[in-house]
Amino acid sequence: MAKLRNVAIVGFAQAPIVVRDEHRVASEILYPQVRRALADCGVERDAIDYQVAGSADYVDGRPFGFVAALDVTGTWPPRQDLHLEMDAAFAAHYAWIRMQAGDCDTAIVCGYGKNSEGEPEHVLNLELDPYYQAPLGLGPTSTAALQASAFMARTGTTDRTLAEVAARNRTAGVRNPDALVRARATADDLERTPWAVAPLRKGYLAPTGDSAVCVVLATEGKAEKMCERPAWIRGVDQRIERQTLGSRDLSASAGARLAAEKALAMAGVGAREADVVELAATNPAEELILLEALGIGPSDAVNPSGGPLCGHPFMMTGLIRLGEAFRQLAGRAGDHAVPRARTAIAHATLGHCLQQNLFFVLGTERRWT
Amino acid sequence: MNEPPKEPVKYVETTIHLPYHYVAGDVRARYLHALKEKKILGARCSKAGKIFVPPLVASPESFAPCEEFIEIAACGVVTTYCVVNIPVIGRNIEIPYVAASVALDGADISIFAMIQECKPEDVRMGMRVEAVWKPDGERQGDHEDIQYFRPTGEPDAPRESFLHRL
Repeated sequence: MAKLRNVAIVGFAQAPIVVRDEHRVASEILYPQVRRALADCGVERDAIDYQVAGSADYVDGRPFGFVAALDVTGTWPPRQDLHLEMDAAFAAHYAWIRMQAGDCDTAIVCGYGKNSEGEPEHVLNLELDPYYQAPLGLGPTSTAALQASAFMARTGTTDRTLAEVAARNRTAGVRNPDALVRARATADDLERTPWAVAPLRKGYLAPTGDSAVCVVLATEGKAEKMCERPAWIRGVDQRIERQTLGSRDLSASAGARLAAEKALAMAGVGAREADVVELAATNPAEELILLEALGIGPSDAVNPSGGPLCGHPFMMTGLIRLGEAFRQLAGRAGDHAVPRARTAIAHATLGHCLQQNLFFVLGTERRWT
Repeated sequence: MNEPPKEPVKYVETTIHLPYHYVAGDVRARYLHALKEKKILGARCSKAGKIFVPPLVASPESFAPCEEFIEIAACGVVTTYCVVNIPVIGRNIEIPYVAASVALDGADISIFAMIQECKPEDVRMGMRVEAVWKPDGERQGDHEDIQYFRPTGEPDAPRESFLHRL
């Protein structure tokens, strides 16, 4: 592995996820997060070289809706900026690439977009091809159920196991003050919830909500001054698969496996060494598929924040996983802290049935010396 | 089977219906509610003191919060304008008409407004104008509560008084 620049997460702020924010538009939810994230690092806006964001205009319901965020991210004097129509975790990856190119040393990465103002299920239907799949009315829950079914058939995973995976997330989420759902639920409780789309029950699904997120990235030399315990990015990779659902084996995620392998190889660690694994899994079958791709089993190291099952602000869920990994490594996870966490994996996904997967591997130690 | 159909399916018609339910947000709600009362609200930047109309949560320039609301005069000066001779998207307005940037007295940025009750060729930079409101009982708390701006007949404002508010 060639020597790369060491880049760390040095700041993170997230608006607690709510079902619907009745008082603020998306940019107004974002503004205090950018201020808090910078205050965390003890710097003013001018200390930041680059800004990049991820959101979806279809979530906002406004063409070019992302430009509204520019008014609250301190875009004066004129800044270098980029927007990705993707989960904001992918924007963090982009900032990392810019840093590798030597273009910038510091960046803010923002995720925003009020899920409550539109209909995410409906929007995601439109992500499918408009000839054969979208007209069937397939939404993300239906396609996730197709995948869950395929996974359960191949592995013999039972409904009970899904309930247990969901319950572990729900138990963890009780301790996360930013979670949308903080009510404890046992496997027995969740196994009794009605079917949403069998084999997925209502209790197994990730509730969407409103939030906004800001992550601050900095390169070695600056990172240490901005954060006492930076979370160093040791490895990162992303892979995408084909659009046509029928063309891939839905019972597993080849893309997640490859992205995880590449990111872990870059990081020089094995998945088993991770003290924290934050996965953007929107149902328990997805979580198990991702764990299989990582080559590890379910444990309390997975989603100590409660994960997306305790709050899924679509297009920010991945960046929150990265922020949670930072919180754990930086010793800022409060009640849901994993003691002495030194290595963390953060995952983001886009598309139906884990079509695109991004893995970050983070550590308390720099990768390159 | 190996030939495409004689009358190919040339089009697939898809109607996309995506409903959205926007909240105005507390800042906009206050501004819009004030319009109903024939008042225009701005917000002051806590760092640079600039007053933005309509009010904003933060100054896009200084990045500082704007927490103080201030009532702004419903009159000001035309800072720049254009004469529109092409149909207007989404509005039924007689052309030609004048679209102008109006810096309200006491505000540090301009709002966009129509200028009426004068000929387009009489509009000029520096011309003093005032808001013409919808009558009492007809204002809904939206941007159309101000129907347009019209000349006040006062002497023009000197250029240096508005050049920084273009």
